[in-house]
Amino acid sequence: MPFDISSLTTNDNHQSLKNSVVRALPTIIVPFKQIVDIKEIKVDPNTQTPITVGIPRKISDVDKNALEEAIKIKEKHGGKVIAITMGPSEAKTALRETLAMGVDEAYLLSDPIFENSDTLATARVLAKAIEKLGEYDLIICGEMTLDGLSAQVGPRLAELLDIPQITYVRKVTIEGNKIIAEKDLEEEYETVEAEMPVLLTVTREINEPRIPSLRDIMKASRKPINTWTASDLGISKENVGTEGSAVQILKVTVPKVERKGIIVKAETIEEAAEELVKTILKEGVLRG
Amino acid sequence: MDFSFTEEQELFRQAVREWCEKNLSLEKVREMDEKEEMPMDVIKGMADLGLLLMTVPEEHGGTGSDWVTACIAAEELAYADISIAVPVFFLVESSWGYVIDRYCSEEVREKYIKKAIRGEAFVGIATTEPGGGSDIASVKTTAKKEGDEWVINGEKIYISGTEEAKKMGGGYFIIARTDPKLGHRGMTAFFLPIDAPGVEITKRYDDMGRMGISTGGFVMNDVRLSDEYVLGEVNKGFYYTMEGFDLARLLIGATSVGATQRALEIGMDYTKQRILFGRPLAKFEGIQFEMADLWARNEALRSLVYRTAWMVNEKYSTGRFGPLEVSKFISAVKLLGPPLAFRTFEKAMIWLGAYGYTRECPLEMGLRGIMSYCVGAEGGLNIQRIIIARELLGREYVPYK
Ligand SMILES: Cc1cc2nc3c(=O)[nH]c(=O)nc-3n(C[C@H](O)[C@H](O)[C@H](O)COP(=O)(O)OP(=O)(O)OC[C@H]3O[C@@H](n4cnc5c(N)ncnc54)[C@H](O)[C@@H]3O)c2cc1C
Repeated sequence: MPFDISSLTTNDNHQSLKNSVVRALPTIIVPFKQIVDIKEIKVDPNTQTPITVGIPRKISDVDKNALEEAIKIKEKHGGKVIAITMGPSEAKTALRETLAMGVDEAYLLSDPIFENSDTLATARVLAKAIEKLGEYDLIICGEMTLDGLSAQVGPRLAELLDIPQITYVRKVTIEGNKIIAEKDLEEEYETVEAEMPVLLTVTREINEPRIPSLRDIMKASRKPINTWTASDLGISKENVGTEGSAVQILKVTVPKVERKGIIVKAETIEEAAEELVKTILKEGVLRG
Repeated sequence: MDFSFTEEQELFRQAVREWCEKNLSLEKVREMDEKEEMPMDVIKGMADLGLLLMTVPEEHGGTGSDWVTACIAAEELAYADISIAVPVFFLVESSWGYVIDRYCSEEVREKYIKKAIRGEAFVGIATTEPGGGSDIASVKTTAKKEGDEWVINGEKIYISGTEEAKKMGGGYFIIARTDPKLGHRGMTAFFLPIDAPGVEITKRYDDMGRMGISTGGFVMNDVRLSDEYVLGEVNKGFYYTMEGFDLARLLIGATSVGATQRALEIGMDYTKQRILFGRPLAKFEGIQFEMADLWARNEALRSLVYRTAWMVNEKYSTGRFGPLEVSKFISAVKLLGPPLAFRTFEKAMIWLGAYGYTRECPLEMGLRGIMSYCVGAEGGLNIQRIIIARELLGREYVPYK
């Protein structure tokens, strides 16, 4: 990997450093996913399955935080940001949006054989694309996408690429060749560091994704979007799609939420409150 | 025939919507309505997004957006700000700012247009006078050439954005009589800086709606302007005015579509949750049929608005449609849009019952705001009918001649 300080003067991707502590021109890759807008999903009341056809698609929320963080790092330290996504050709719109946000290069990984890939197969496709892209310093993913909520693609990708990973990052700083990251462990924050290249998965708290301006959108529409198919990536059918997945999704249903319609009757507010608390305890909503 | 928006337009719509969700919530709109002031962060935010005077060409500092894209912005802004104060600010600048830029000198462009694009000035339109607004050809304001200068005298009333122009700087597209013998062929358009000596803001009207943007009046006493402030050619002002009205009316159509859509959604959300007679109110046909009707009308309007926007693009780019043909369609947009939005707010308020009548509910702001475009801002409804009938029947049937 590139970021051995001694390679700086010879590597034309990176300018030489005045001060060896400051990193110059990192290459940051952001793999992201375009998902259906889960707010817009309706449920078929007969089958309890979500209706996803015709639902608008968007960049998964936390993936936008990943893109934002990459662009912020580029704005501060220079370098470039490459966005990649595996998906159908409609995902080009999402790539266009990343270009409008400030991404420099966009790649769509698209092939019918990628369909129905699980997190393992997806990570394989992404890893192949990243290898093909060449040198990089940072990979930033969202902690999870809001459709699958598996939180696995980032960690699996780091494993396949054999680089360190820091997950659930809520704050990141770069010092020389080091990444210092604050991890969200729910109960506490943990500060860790790692040498680049490293893969981060970030949480929603890390930043507020920017909204591209009309000018940014217009500029983005003049930038190319590259498409790589399975054969461009040297991927065969056994490793991706249904065949290459370890997990098969059999069915997606929406849990039925039904109201019990319990009415608490009492003379006074105090009695009503007491009755209500009793009912809640009895229903097992709270444990006393 | 392909009715789809471009990818660029879809992304733009999404960006405006997202910005509105963050910066122009109904709570913020209520605050604006109560304080009777548009917050500077909203204006600055619109500038940063590239919305202000977005139709001005790129080489003049705008984004050179076409009219379909401008309609998308108007629609989304009105979906968010149903009081329509922000849409008014946007549409007045995008239409009249475009016309000013099209005919102005480099000096006016540098001093006013470019500033307005950055959200540092307001540019608007001032044609209406105490003698009436509908009959533009009877404007009384005069401009007399004295040496190198034009001396302007007159009064303008019911003018949008006077307080904003005073606070931020800026000025107005005005029209004045330069050759009284020639009737509407003797009128010239000028750019009037609001701080020009002799301009005095006389009042702020106590409007019923769209409180976030002011409506005021001003007098012009011996205001001296150089030739740099003449817009286009002398005695052609009437035609530039019609051009500006057309563009503003188109964007008012898009504003109506957005506001109508939001009113419907507020109504649908509420009536799905309100349980009456043992079932959601929305289950009753008396309610849902009204919704279906309003939705259908709004989709018809939406199609007309975007089709007309496309005609405007063609008018400017290929000349495929002449100005009068385009005006006919634009008048249809202005005739149908505001009354539909008004009707939808009215209906939605009724679906919401007493709650709809309170200020806790946003709907009444919509009713008050859109009324401005029914009573006459940018041209009354009957004026639109006169224009349409003129194009249908021929000029010899114009009723006032
Ligand atoms: C909130 C608000 C903001 C405004 N902002 C601006 C602004 O920024 N700049 C500006 O110049 N003006 C502005 N106006 C004024 C607006 O342009 C005028 O209200 C409009 O032109 C109508 O003029 P009027 O109000 O004098 O009504 P009148 O011209 O007196 O007309 C009264 C009514 O009669 C109808 N009518 C007129 N002629 C005929 C006819 N021949 N046959 C049948 N019916 C007819 C009209 O449609 C109208 O309904 C604004 C108005 C409002 C309410």
